[in-house]
Amino acid sequence: MKISAIRHVSGFDVARPVSIGVMLGIMLPLVLLPLLSIFIFGTSKGLGTFWSALVAPDAIFALKLSIVTSFWATLFNVTFGLFAAYVLSRYDFWGRNAVIVTISLPTAIPTAVAGFALLLLWGKYGMIGKFFSERHQVMFTPYAIILANIFVTFPLAFGVIKPVFDTMSRSLEEASATIGATRLQTFWHVTLPSLRGAIVSGALLTFARAVGEFGSTILVSGNLAGRTQTAPLYIYAKFNEGQIEAANAIAIVLALLSFVIFSVLFFARDWLEFETQEA
Amino acid sequence: MALAADRDPHVSWAPDRERRTGVAASVRGVSKRFKKSRILEDISFDVAEGESLVLLGASGSGKTTILRIIAGLEQPDQGRVILHGKDVTDLPARERGVGVIFQAYALFPRMTVEKNIGYGLKIRRLPRKERRETVNRLLKLVQLEEHRKKYPWQLSGGQQQRVAIARTLAYKPQVLLFDEPFGALDAQTRVKLRREIRSLLKQVKVPAVFITHDQEEALELGDRIAVLNDGHLEQIGTPDEVYNQPATEYVATFLGAANLLLGVVTQGCVEIGSARLPAARETARFREGQSVKLVFRPEDICVSQDANLPEGCRRLANGVIEEVNFVGSYERLNVRLDLTHRRQAEHEPPLYQVTINTPERMTGVPIMVTRPKPKGNATRYKAGDRVAVGLTSFSVLPNYTLARQR
Repeated sequence: MKISAIRHVSGFDVARPVSIGVMLGIMLPLVLLPLLSIFIFGTSKGLGTFWSALVAPDAIFALKLSIVTSFWATLFNVTFGLFAAYVLSRYDFWGRNAVIVTISLPTAIPTAVAGFALLLLWGKYGMIGKFFSERHQVMFTPYAIILANIFVTFPLAFGVIKPVFDTMSRSLEEASATIGATRLQTFWHVTLPSLRGAIVSGALLTFARAVGEFGSTILVSGNLAGRTQTAPLYIYAKFNEGQIEAANAIAIVLALLSFVIFSVLFFARDWLEFETQEA
Repeated sequence: MALAADRDPHVSWAPDRERRTGVAASVRGVSKRFKKSRILEDISFDVAEGESLVLLGASGSGKTTILRIIAGLEQPDQGRVILHGKDVTDLPARERGVGVIFQAYALFPRMTVEKNIGYGLKIRRLPRKERRETVNRLLKLVQLEEHRKKYPWQLSGGQQQRVAIARTLAYKPQVLLFDEPFGALDAQTRVKLRREIRSLLKQVKVPAVFITHDQEEALELGDRIAVLNDGHLEQIGTPDEVYNQPATEYVATFLGAANLLLGVVTQGCVEIGSARLPAARETARFREGQSVKLVFRPEDICVSQDANLPEGCRRLANGVIEEVNFVGSYERLNVRLDLTHRRQAEHEPPLYQVTINTPERMTGVPIMVTRPKPKGNATRYKAGDRVAVGLTSFSVLPNYTLARQR
């Protein structure tokens, strides 16, 4: 037993501080500093400047528009994602796997391509859009933003809910049926409570992703300030105009929003999975 | 822990139905196929009011499918399911009012003990007060009053099982169906719980169907046992009947250990090699010269070193003791009979020829003998001892050369 140059058992282990240091050293410029710089820069000219940039009418509108469109997209995707996950996990039919793959596809498609595809479909000369009159065109309105958000974030809620359905023991639902419950009662009292964690985290993920959506939104919304400009588009527009403070104020809000959502997801994981019903 | 007696004489957990027939549930000619393979073939049996019936079979014998068909979770291809005189074959599970205790209990994880028990009443939209009363009575019956606010994962396996039973009793089920109820528990808990369930069922008087692959469990739990093999019913009867008068070789070997010898019916005897075993009663249903199987349990064999076998013991053959094992409460002997398989001509029943076993050459047919401790202590045997072998009881079964010749 002469080979003991590296001590694994006791004493000072050099590998520990070195590996932690290397990890942080790489993360710092790549991940941590960029986030930090938003806050440092945003507040460098005082909170007054930050505040006035934040309450500018176009800025408020952009934030509101982002939140409202993301809300509707989230509502739709969670509801429909739940339904789709139920159908695809409970029923076997020809082409089922093809549908599952297709549903997950939007995550892999560049968002600009997604926006472009929506334009081709819903635009004035698009396959569906051409049946709409001039006044009822969908593109370049807030509805287009919702459509883009739905498309881009569709797989998120579905992806979280489907595995829960797949692993859920059928005997719970069978037990409920033998006890005398209808399908609806079983779904409401038995299935849904087990899915609560998945639904909440699916919704948070969808919302976080939708609020930050840029690539598809810039193509389908028209990017009109005060009309169809979402928060990420506002940041981009203000930056292009050289109004760094205005862009930065919104950037801080979006970054904080993401922090909150991901903290909830991270710290509330236990609660989401094991939380019990009200006493 | 014994279960609390339900002191209120007016409360019965049995269904409020007239009991004109005395038959709680009956399965009539049920068959089921899955794709090309047959799962159940023409299964019929009745469960009497207040009776416990055990469906015993190896895995893949179709016992779970029968349970699911009674519960309405699966549809039979043919046959009917009748509960208290009403044909429920076409009713969905929720309209049948049967109580299923699933293998892993299937308690609702997001509901407390009392909510689990009250679920069936809530679904039936009973007034809150009535629901609470019933839940309280059931909590008392299964002795879980102090656990009422707990969630299933906070309970032991046995407690979870009691919740599952109480949850079904709440809506007065027509029949209770237990799917491998002790599969998820350790050996000691099993024995304890099966006694608890047995006494609980006697109290509530609800008929029950158990399914299990454990023969010991079947003998203890069942008023009657139905032995299933590969989708058909081999035998149905009381534990005593099924154990002591097995109708088929499968029943004999599945329920406990059994020795098997081939023979021919000759003048009220079973002829096995050179030995003639008097069996006037057992061979009455066979014709002269018919090929039969002699089935006997290890504990029904008596051995003796002198030619005089005890009273009531019919002589089978001589043999040599090959091995002696102590297995706790009894002693196990491996004995080689002075019989070997004879090479047989085609169309001739397989028989034995005489052989003499010597300690150097053990070629005879082996049988297993068990002796209770006092007997083992009274006369000790060692390997190589020559003994006379007799049988106190045995059954004679037809020897079908083809498995499907029933």
